[in-house]
Amino acid sequence: METLLDWSLLSATLWKVAPLLLAALAGAMCARVGIFNVALEGMMLTGAFTAILGNYWFDNVLLGVVFACLCVGALSLLFGYLVIGLQANAIVVGTAINFLATGLTAFSLFAIFGVKGQFRDSAMSGLPKWNIPLVQDIPVVGELLSGHTPLVYLAFLLVVALQFFLFRTVMGFRLLAVGENPVAAKSLGLPVRRYQYGAIVFSGILCGLAGAQLSLGQVTLFTENMTAGRGFIALVATMLGQSNPIGVMGASLLFGFLDTLSTRLQSFSVPTHFTMMFPYAMTIIVMLFFKDKSYLRQSGRLDSK
Amino acid sequence: MAAINRIGWNKYAQALGMPFMAIALGLFVGAIAIWTVGGSVIDTYAEMWKGAFGSFYFTTTTLTRATPIILAALGVSLAFRAGFFNLGAEGQMILGALAAALAAIYVPGNGLIKILAAAIAGMLAGGLWSLLAGWLDTRFKLNLLITTLLLNYIAMYAAGYMVAFPLKEKGGTGGAQTEMLDSAAWLPKLFAGMTLHAGFLVAVFAALLLAWFLAYTAKGYEIRMLGSNPLFAAFGGVKRGPLMLTSMMISGALAGLAGTFEVLGTQYRYIDNMITSPGYAWSAIMATLLAGSNPIGSALAAILLAALQTGAMGVERNTEVPLEISSVIQSSLILFVSARVTFSFLKRRKARGADGNAA
Repeated sequence: METLLDWSLLSATLWKVAPLLLAALAGAMCARVGIFNVALEGMMLTGAFTAILGNYWFDNVLLGVVFACLCVGALSLLFGYLVIGLQANAIVVGTAINFLATGLTAFSLFAIFGVKGQFRDSAMSGLPKWNIPLVQDIPVVGELLSGHTPLVYLAFLLVVALQFFLFRTVMGFRLLAVGENPVAAKSLGLPVRRYQYGAIVFSGILCGLAGAQLSLGQVTLFTENMTAGRGFIALVATMLGQSNPIGVMGASLLFGFLDTLSTRLQSFSVPTHFTMMFPYAMTIIVMLFFKDKSYLRQSGRLDSK
Repeated sequence: MAAINRIGWNKYAQALGMPFMAIALGLFVGAIAIWTVGGSVIDTYAEMWKGAFGSFYFTTTTLTRATPIILAALGVSLAFRAGFFNLGAEGQMILGALAAALAAIYVPGNGLIKILAAAIAGMLAGGLWSLLAGWLDTRFKLNLLITTLLLNYIAMYAAGYMVAFPLKEKGGTGGAQTEMLDSAAWLPKLFAGMTLHAGFLVAVFAALLLAWFLAYTAKGYEIRMLGSNPLFAAFGGVKRGPLMLTSMMISGALAGLAGTFEVLGTQYRYIDNMITSPGYAWSAIMATLLAGSNPIGSALAAILLAALQTGAMGVERNTEVPLEISSVIQSSLILFVSARVTFSFLKRRKARGADGNAA
């Protein structure tokens, strides 16, 4: 009989949180240039599918991940073109992209692999698990931090990198300016649209990585709609973290922990509805206190340019 | 003649004509998808037509599926018309359905009383849930779009908990569902042996009523004014707060009614995920977008989307092409339409105030 709380729970949190964190960072980048990206779910799902597809076609995990990033990057360009180029409403386009991803992945699953529901190939290898020398020998810390896929480590490195990029580099400041006040940024001669396209494509790549971690990380398979709302939780983590990389990491860790806890509770046949509901309820409450943050105003404008 | 012009048949023609292009493009993308899996495009679309409208039975099945989508789409279009991006139809439908099931089970009396009680409970539950989001907006300036989205999940898990534990059917097969309603409280079927129930008539009536309400009443005019030009509305003495609460309440009540009819007319109990898995609420939002928030147009678009969905089931039964062809067509349709939606949103953006909500 498992106990409710032990170290493996925290370790499981780390790999569960990775796709969430990557997608939430993607959402944060979009929010920072003033675009509310509800398409995270669909982009992640596309990433999960194309990662398996790339792995299957090229028989190479790395190429699979790269292929996923390229495909989702292309999808995000479509999103960007409609939202920035054609000035379509980001929510409408995002919703449509989510539908497109659900339909297209399930459809392609049948068209390419000839199966319905789930594809798995036992010959296919997933992402490698890295054991960190020295760290893995430390009793508890080793179990916690070692033996994850490279994408898990990358996700946390990206938090630091993005925090530095946004708040310590000139380019980052300009990107923030684009989101804060596009008109002022434009009058300074900043290529506003180029920054927005850049952020969207970057978020697409991040979602590709998130999807790859999902389909090639802990398991090596694709099931229809395997993201199961994680993209929306990531969106909520973006809001709760105020689009601040460190904050987003905190929110993702919390939600990832709750997710693992829910899974654990299920084996005790305790109702999980409230742990699952918690992220959404908490975000509404937190929004009451942080309602004046500029990023929320941006999402309020929805189609702010 | 003047009266006819006032409803604006020209606008209806436009509302139908522009999505027509999108439908053609959507079907074209679908054709490419069918072609890639090696199916015959003509045969597949023929099967889709047969699956949706091929026989009286299939036609009524399509209309049954369209019923909740129409009602929810009417609610969404009312909110959109007032300028509020209500994405909460799903949660409102769920709570409406659950409340209706409870009222139909526990309110004593004959069938008619049970049905009326269920309808009132369903509309009240959906309306209040929607009102909560509206109140959070007017009172705390929380972004309506985000709160409605979040409240969906809260409603979903709350209802899931209720039917999995306290309200679970006693001695049942083990699924998370309430007990079966007394057959007196079932909505009558319109045709013997068919799935279509009286809720469809109510939905059609509601579409006409909403079109009339928006076109002819003072409140309807205020709602349209608030949606198309909030500053002008404020100048004209329209109070944003109360009007927002009213329109969110009605919007949620319509979604709640959609959930009610799913319980009273189709499932005869509340089953966990009965609203979420068929994606009724998102179809309703798509229908509204397709029709540019026009009530009668939304109802027709809801029937179109329902037809694509039931048609795809026919396709899956009789050809090699999978069911998902319908979501490919539906989503590309919306992508094409979004370029047109842009146009009206562009016009609105100019007029929006600093704290202006979802356009």
